[in-house]
Amino acid sequence: MDHLNPPDNATELSLFWTWMGDDGICRTKTKPLAEITLKEAMENSVAVSAFYKNKKFPLLVDARNVKTMAKEARKHFSTNGRETKITSMAIMVKSPLSRVVGNFFMGLNKPKIPARLFDDENAAVEWLKTHLL
Amino acid sequence: MSYKSNNNNPDRVKEILDVIMSYAKFDFSKKTSIIGNDALDAIGAGVNMLGEELESSTLSLKEKEQLLKEIHHRVKNNLQIVSSLLNLQSENILDKRYLDLIIESRNRINSMALVHEMLYSSKDLSKIDISEYVQRLSLGIQNSLLKNDAKVIFHYDLQPDMYFDIDRMIPLGLILNEIISNSYKYAFPKNEGRIDIEMSQTNKHYKLVVKDNGIGLKVNFDVKRDSNLGMQLIYMLAEQMDGKVGVDSVLGVAYEITFPA
Repeated sequence: MDHLNPPDNATELSLFWTWMGDDGICRTKTKPLAEITLKEAMENSVAVSAFYKNKKFPLLVDARNVKTMAKEARKHFSTNGRETKITSMAIMVKSPLSRVVGNFFMGLNKPKIPARLFDDENAAVEWLKTHLL
Repeated sequence: MSYKSNNNNPDRVKEILDVIMSYAKFDFSKKTSIIGNDALDAIGAGVNMLGEELESSTLSLKEKEQLLKEIHHRVKNNLQIVSSLLNLQSENILDKRYLDLIIESRNRINSMALVHEMLYSSKDLSKIDISEYVQRLSLGIQNSLLKNDAKVIFHYDLQPDMYFDIDRMIPLGLILNEIISNSYKYAFPKNEGRIDIEMSQTNKHYKLVVKDNGIGLKVNFDVKRDSNLGMQLIYMLAEQMDGKVGVDSVLGVAYEITFPA
């Protein structure tokens, strides 16, 4: 099952598509060759937080198309030192590039919320379901 | 997992190595170019991100160094203010006994201020070159105590490349201050003489020898019974450094302070 095909009603940002799935898991997908700076990271957080309705939710991130992610953007996505509406984060990686970016993010920025890298969408969704409130 | 091949691998590997070498020299202005999605792009992206983290850590370290310098600067300035206040106070004192007490206190403060001054002006904020410190301290004491017609010369034999941290330099500076001040005050009634300062290090010990060629201690001098505050300080500070004090008064007075390396 394709969990990361943006629907028509997805919020489209400069480098992301973001939408809420029927299963209560929010999705965000990077556009091809995305070079993410703090500006795009913050833009994404605002779009994700817009789905908050008195209940926090898990987030599935498709980072398979990411090209670069600036230090400030990694720090922002780690949610350290800021309020967040998400309970957990599963990050989809596949290419060598996305794996390096993902591992760097996990290893050095140490997200405040539970976070894991996946290369299997179904496994990622199953893990996120355990973080639904 | 298989990676896409890239025909320009040698050039790209060289580019990545160049960037790594720049980072090794703390030049973080360069980044590797990410042109595709192969293994070298992944390595390049990792190098770029590592550079960003290193740059951030280096900046943070520089900020801390700057802060430490600022603290040493302020401590030194505050000590100098106290020293200046004592100077001002001394201008109104006619009684020589009180005047001497003020000068002694001021020199003790100056010996500590010099440690902080040398720390904030050194490249390494944690260590002080003993040789430079000893010479600057002794000349400072000379300026403070020397009478107009006096001729007291210093002779130094200081092993090069010896460094102390602040915890050792402060007591050692105070010890030196007391010994040199005592020589100036008591050893040379004719205002002429010589003070030798030697400092050396063996595997296990440091040895400081300060000797003058003055009149020596009075006959039957007893350290416990006859010592002044300055001499008591020498023993207390040496003990603080787990050291031992030896005093000899055959030709002038010679102090030998040994403490663990």
